[in-house]
Amino acid sequence: MIAICLIYFCISSNCGKKTLPEAMGKSKQTGNHKSDKKKNIAKTWKTKRRTKDLDQIHNDMKPGNAAKLLRQEVDYDVTGCAQHYCLHCARYFVDLKTMKEHFKTKVHKKRLKQLREEPYTQAEAERAAGMGSYIPPKTIEVQTQPVEEDMS
Amino acid sequence: MRIEKCYFCSGPVYPGHGMMFVRNDCKVFRFCKSKCHKNFKKKRNPRKTRWTKAFRKAAGKELTVDNSLEFEKRRNIPLKYQRELWNKTVEAMKKVEEIKQKRQARFIMNRLKKGKQLEKEEAISEVKKNIHLIKAPHAGKAKKLEEKMVEKLQEDVEMGDD
Repeated sequence: MIAICLIYFCISSNCGKKTLPEAMGKSKQTGNHKSDKKKNIAKTWKTKRRTKDLDQIHNDMKPGNAAKLLRQEVDYDVTGCAQHYCLHCARYFVDLKTMKEHFKTKVHKKRLKQLREEPYTQAEAERAAGMGSYIPPKTIEVQTQPVEEDMS
Repeated sequence: MRIEKCYFCSGPVYPGHGMMFVRNDCKVFRFCKSKCHKNFKKKRNPRKTRWTKAFRKAAGKELTVDNSLEFEKRRNIPLKYQRELWNKTVEAMKKVEEIKQKRQARFIMNRLKKGKQLEKEEAISEVKKNIHLIKAPHAGKAKKLEEKMVEKLQEDVEMGDD
C-alpha cells in the first residue's frame, strides 16, 4: 500500500513540475470588451464609414502620391492638423511621438504584410471565373515610411 | 447587356441581380449576392476566403493555366449580326465548354491521387511503427527456448550414458 502511495506521489509531483512553454506567441493585449471600436462592429462595416482599401493605398504608395500625402498643408479639421500621416494605414496622428509608437504596433506591421502582395482586382476575379489563365500576384517590398528627424 | 462577374466570388451577375458598389474614386464593384457584398465591406481578401474562385485558383485547387480558358473573353468590338457566325459560335462554345469541363475534372482527379498515395504511405508507416500490437515481440521465443532446453538435456543425457 505504501509503495502504491509512493508511486502515486511520484506521478503527481512529476505532473506538477511540468512547465508549459512561456507565453508562446501570445499577444500582450488582454480584454476586448471595453474597446470602443469593437462595441458596434456592424457600424464600422457601413459603406458610409468606409476606410481606404488596400488597392487605394497601393496607389498612394506611388512616389508622387506618397510625397503629396506625407507633406500636407495644415488642415485644422483633421487630426494633428494633417501633419502626421501613416501612409500604409491611412491614418492621421496627433503628433510624431504617437505616430512612432504606431509604427511599432501589430496593426501597422500587419498592414505592411498585407500590402506586400499585389492588390486584388476585378481582372483577377474574371480570370478566376474562367476568362483567361491564372497569373500569380507579384510581391513587393514595403517598408515603414521614413520619419522626418527635423525636430528643431 | 452583359453577364458580369462578381468581384468577390467570380460568380455570374445577371442583369437585374446582385448589387453594384461605386467607390468614391469611381471604381465599380459588382456583387452577385449579399454574402459577397458583406464580405467586401468587411475588407476580406477574396484570395484568402476559401469559398471563392480566386482562392481555389490561387491555392492550386483547380486548373489554372490552360488553353481552354482563353476562349471566353471580353471583346469590345461591335459585330454585325450574321446568322451563320452566330450558329457557329454557339456550336464552338458548346465544344469548348465540354473540353474545359473534361480537363478541369481530370486535373482535380489527378490532384486527389496524391492524397491517396500519401494515405497509403502513412498506413504502411503506422503498421511498421506499431507492429508490436499485431505480433508480440517475444511471440514464439518461449517455445524455441523450450525446444533448445530439451535438446540440450537430451544431449546431456546421451553424454551421461556414454
